[in-house]
Amino acid sequence: MSLISTVEAGQARLSFSTRKNLLRAAIVIAVIAVWEMAARSGLFYRDVVPPVENIVAALAGILVDPAFYRNFAITLGEIGVALIIGGTLGFLTGIALGVSRFLTKAYEPLLFYLGPTPKIVFFPVLIMWFGVGSGSKIAMGAISCFFPLAISVAAGIRSIDPVLIRVGRSFRLSTWQTVAKIYVPAIREPIINGIRLGLGIAIIGTVLAETKLSNQGIGFMIIQTYATFNIERMYGLLITLFVFAIGSNALLHRFTRR
Amino acid sequence: MKSGAVAKAALAAEPSGSPTSALAIQNLSMRFETSEGPVTAVDDMSFDVPVGSFVSLIGPSGCGKSTVFNIVGGLLTGHAGSVRVGAETVAGPHRAIGMVFQEESTFPWRTVIDNVAFPLEISGIGRDERHEQARHFINMVGLHGFERRYPSELSGGMRQRVAIARTLAFQPSILLMDEPFAALDEQTRLLLGDKILQIQQDLKQTTMLITHNITEAVQLSDRIVVMTYRPGKVKRIIDVDLPRPRTSEVITSTAFGAYVAEVWNDLREEASRGMADAESASQMRPSRRS
Ligand SMILES: Nc1ncnc2c1ncn2[C@@H]1O[C@H](COP(=O)(O)OP(=O)(O)OP(=O)(O)O)[C@@H](O)[C@H]1O
Ligand SMILES: [Mg+2]
Repeated sequence: MSLISTVEAGQARLSFSTRKNLLRAAIVIAVIAVWEMAARSGLFYRDVVPPVENIVAALAGILVDPAFYRNFAITLGEIGVALIIGGTLGFLTGIALGVSRFLTKAYEPLLFYLGPTPKIVFFPVLIMWFGVGSGSKIAMGAISCFFPLAISVAAGIRSIDPVLIRVGRSFRLSTWQTVAKIYVPAIREPIINGIRLGLGIAIIGTVLAETKLSNQGIGFMIIQTYATFNIERMYGLLITLFVFAIGSNALLHRFTRR
Repeated sequence: MKSGAVAKAALAAEPSGSPTSALAIQNLSMRFETSEGPVTAVDDMSFDVPVGSFVSLIGPSGCGKSTVFNIVGGLLTGHAGSVRVGAETVAGPHRAIGMVFQEESTFPWRTVIDNVAFPLEISGIGRDERHEQARHFINMVGLHGFERRYPSELSGGMRQRVAIARTLAFQPSILLMDEPFAALDEQTRLLLGDKILQIQQDLKQTTMLITHNITEAVQLSDRIVVMTYRPGKVKRIIDVDLPRPRTSEVITSTAFGAYVAEVWNDLREEASRGMADAESASQMRPSRRS
């Protein structure tokens, strides 16, 4: 009997997820259709809202362009390094704040005020410190993703059931063992959510910095197409950026589940 | 039946920290500073837990049982008096003591077997070896077949058994338990009591159980320490001379009934004082509804 109910539940889930995917496809198709109608209506400049087929053609052109891959790799590398540096620092800061009431009192307000501040205001300083190359972009990305990770890790640690810490103490765990065996596994979900938020903001920070002052990267390519009024190609590049952002986030989301 | 007074006198004559006592608690007092001034939670308590014996600490809610538990376990400091394990004075968690907590305490991200193997993992034992040992303790608490489950997939009673097995895997010479059955229904409580009895008899495990359940205390113990309500003192020490090995069937015997009556006699006074205290406190507080 339990077998039957499991099978039924499986079918229900399958049809549910199929329905969900259909609904998602529908919204994408709807957006494309509205876009196409807007393009054909003549209400907008053809260059500002080009027909879908032109964008697709531009996208195809981008995907066979070696320059795109070179620039994309540069941006990807910058984001990756930014995530490693900013993420690690954010994680350690979060642990320290979560464990120490004193540090929390001293620093957490700072974190809360600086966190939502647009990090682009630091960019001129970062250019002076790290140069116009990848260094300043990495620094932008790192600063961006530091905050969400620090805040969510600290909050995660504070939400741990205190009896679990007492269990650790009764088994005579060292501080390091307590962090590795209790704190970190207990806050797996906040950590991954922090990385997801951090990744999003690191992408924004890095690409935004590239659009401001640089000679390489996706952000640079986008601002170039804009400056030369190659709007179809600009849309194509934006789509690749969307796909990358959504794809990497979805990948991280899979880790939240056990 | 030994009278409590005689038992206490005999205890006092016995030199504390002698080879026969695993745990010696001497003149233990604890005060908390609260917003309403200092509260004496534990006042000048002394008792021994002999090697291989099962001692229960019983008293009404709020009398200071968990405070004693935490001090003995080394998790709470700032007390007066001493707690000794053999010849050593407890200052911080002691290797000889294993604790089972009143609250739900399994690690939700670990399977049953990895929960139980936790203390072995900490002492650096390899995966296969520690799983092998963990299985032994899982069987002991009757959870064979549930090794791969997560705590969220078990009942409350089963989770508490996981916590007990985990502490047993630490192989403490003294097992400390703070109301491990408090959240369980009566039947599960009796059956789990059977398991504890069996484990205690198999391992000759020195055990100190904290409880407010009289039946449980009489069923399991060699000695019962009855506490007073506020401040928590030793009211009486009762030695239970029921035959071993015992099972939950012991509760139908007349001797059992006599012990229960004796403990209840002592506790009734304290429990009603606790209740009066709670009532007067609620009357003194201005009612928010009116
Ligand atoms: N950290 C603390 N700060 C202030 N007061 C405390 C603290 N811990 C315990 N107390 C007080 O000490 C007294 C004894 O508490 P304790 O938790 O030891 O009782 P208990 O006998 O374990 O009760 P229960 O059976 O409900 O678990 C209570 O009056 C409680 O309010
Ligand atoms: Mg308690």
